[in-house]
Amino acid sequence: MTFDWSIIWQSMGALWQGALVTIALTVLTMVLAVPLGIVVALLRESRLKPVSALATAYVELMRNVPIILVVYWAFYVLPILTGVGFSPFLTGLVALVLNNTAYNSETFRSGIRSIRKGQTEAGLALGMSEGEAFRKIVLPQAWRRVLPILATTWVTLFKDTSLVSVIAVGDLAHTALQIRSQSFRVIEMLTAMAAIYWLLGYPQAKIVDWIHRKYGVTE
Amino acid sequence: MTDTLAKLPQGSTLPDVVIEYRDVRKQYGEFVALAGVNLEVRRGQVVCLIGPSGSGKSTLLRCTNGLETMSSGEVYFDGMPLSKDPRKNRLIRQRMGMVFQNFELFPHKTALGNIMMGPMTVLGLSEEKARTRAEALLAKVGLSEKASNYPANLSGGQQQRVAIARALAMEPEVMLFDEPTSALDPETIGEVLNVMKRLADDGMTMVVVTHEMTFARRVADHVVVFANGQIVEQGRPEQIFDAPQTTRTRDFLSHLGWDG
Amino acid sequence: MELNLSAVLDSWRFLLSGLGVTLLLAAGVTVLSLLAGTLLTLGRLYGPRWLSAIIVFYIDSMRAIPVLVVLVWVYFALPIATGLNLPPFWSALLSLSAHLAAYVAEVVRAGIQSVRPGQVRAGMALGMTRAQILRKIVMPQAVVRMLPAFGSLLSLAVKDTAIATVIAVPELMRRADAVAGQTYAPVEVFTTVMILYFLVIFPLTRGIDMIYRRVSFLGRS
Repeated sequence: MTFDWSIIWQSMGALWQGALVTIALTVLTMVLAVPLGIVVALLRESRLKPVSALATAYVELMRNVPIILVVYWAFYVLPILTGVGFSPFLTGLVALVLNNTAYNSETFRSGIRSIRKGQTEAGLALGMSEGEAFRKIVLPQAWRRVLPILATTWVTLFKDTSLVSVIAVGDLAHTALQIRSQSFRVIEMLTAMAAIYWLLGYPQAKIVDWIHRKYGVTE
Repeated sequence: MTDTLAKLPQGSTLPDVVIEYRDVRKQYGEFVALAGVNLEVRRGQVVCLIGPSGSGKSTLLRCTNGLETMSSGEVYFDGMPLSKDPRKNRLIRQRMGMVFQNFELFPHKTALGNIMMGPMTVLGLSEEKARTRAEALLAKVGLSEKASNYPANLSGGQQQRVAIARALAMEPEVMLFDEPTSALDPETIGEVLNVMKRLADDGMTMVVVTHEMTFARRVADHVVVFANGQIVEQGRPEQIFDAPQTTRTRDFLSHLGWDG
Repeated sequence: MELNLSAVLDSWRFLLSGLGVTLLLAAGVTVLSLLAGTLLTLGRLYGPRWLSAIIVFYIDSMRAIPVLVVLVWVYFALPIATGLNLPPFWSALLSLSAHLAAYVAEVVRAGIQSVRPGQVRAGMALGMTRAQILRKIVMPQAVVRMLPAFGSLLSLAVKDTAIATVIAVPELMRRADAVAGQTYAPVEVFTTVMILYFLVIFPLTRGIDMIYRRVSFLGRS
């Protein structure tokens, strides 16, 4: 068996492009899914039954179906629902945001719920308004709970972006798989793909561990 | 109740030493937990270790069965020295029972199951024999009706009585008690102390780290006062509580509000 | 928009047999990854230092690489590299398990380390060996404490199987794709299949949560 690793150098530009798309997808998804997650978390606490029920149904559905299916679903359903053609990148982004928003909303909900009611009451007793007590007392404490989970979600998301490759988003996985089928340098290309993901993902996993050690609540 | 607390004359009249501590030292970094302790425990004796928190009495107790390693010094059990390698002290541990401050019952086992654990895994007893032994011990600590309860469904005092039975199931020659009532609600302390008192009356050799001065006064044959990792005074309870010789002991007792 | 549900109804047998493959694969992945993950943890916690270092590296690497990447590597590259030609189902079983095992290992380790040190001391005081303490005291409690996380791993195992569509394992996702292509009714097919997945995964996680609420006291020391 002979290897021809030169294919990697020849494809460096394309792989770099793919990696950028992967990173862009991760960042954009998180940027959108954090505020949306807060909104959904608040909707779930809504006093209007239909609103909270709908929000709950959405979150539970997204948490209990494969992401790759959501990607396919978005690919076919979005254009029909909206009547507009979506680019693969935008479709992938929508699917990832749909999924991630659900997870983030759970993160925020459990973070806020983890703060004992007595903390809010202590704030109210000092003469704060409900809003002030939430902003100044609950949020700063909840943040410590939320940050480690968000960090874990981030790495999961980074890995999950590879799933949008099935609808030909030019991300790292899709780019590498394309080059593989054109060049027939299977081992070289697939190994390079794994190595690049590892190079990007390994430090992230380590940073997550560090965040957990620093902020993690031990019970 | 006082009249039932009459004690057998033992202690110094029985010469055979079961546990001997020889210049035991323990250091955690800069902190000296034990600064050279010499002590003998005789067969059938009840020895109470008292003193302020952090004075080293619990550390000494944990050195007795090798749960804590010593920095230097020797502990002899029945003439045998404890190994410096904590894993090699298994055989000695089988002959000493230990009761912990936080009970440490196994939450996944019933009261009966907790007591059967040692005999079955360590002594290799059949389930049937272990059960018979466990049932007898549960009766002895007055908890027969709680046999199938899990620890989560027992009060603190009940848990500690099961823990005592669990230790007794190994038929130990010595029982070590590490502040057995410190984690208990005041109303359940008495039931545990009663079990311990009966055990003492049966002639069990006991080393007890405790803050219960009444218990030490009434049950102990020998009381040892610790301060700063050292023994500052020891002797018969009457002597320690009624006529303490050192200022350290007097300070400690008056701090507790002990008035004899 | 008009729904064409006959597309789904006409191929329900085909889809259901796909669900069968999904469940079989998920069950295999669950068993294999539990086994491998537990072994990884034991090696990490109680093995020699070099073994522990290798295992930590393996776990962290699997946490860094997408499961899709592991899957295509095992299916396309492994046969060329080793001559070992695995059919799609077995490739998926192997790669999904190898990936999930890293997560199982993290969960098992957290479970073991969450058991109070006093429990180990109590076992030592009885004269038990390290192995006996691990088997009879630590592991039973750790398993109870791990249950909620185990529920998420189980749901992850089912969800990951859908990725095996990429190497043409005839599981539910693959079948759905096929039916959608043949009938030109992707919206109906994918929506139905989404509900199918939900109906499988949701009760699984809820069931485990319910069991946990009933037995959690067994792990609370």
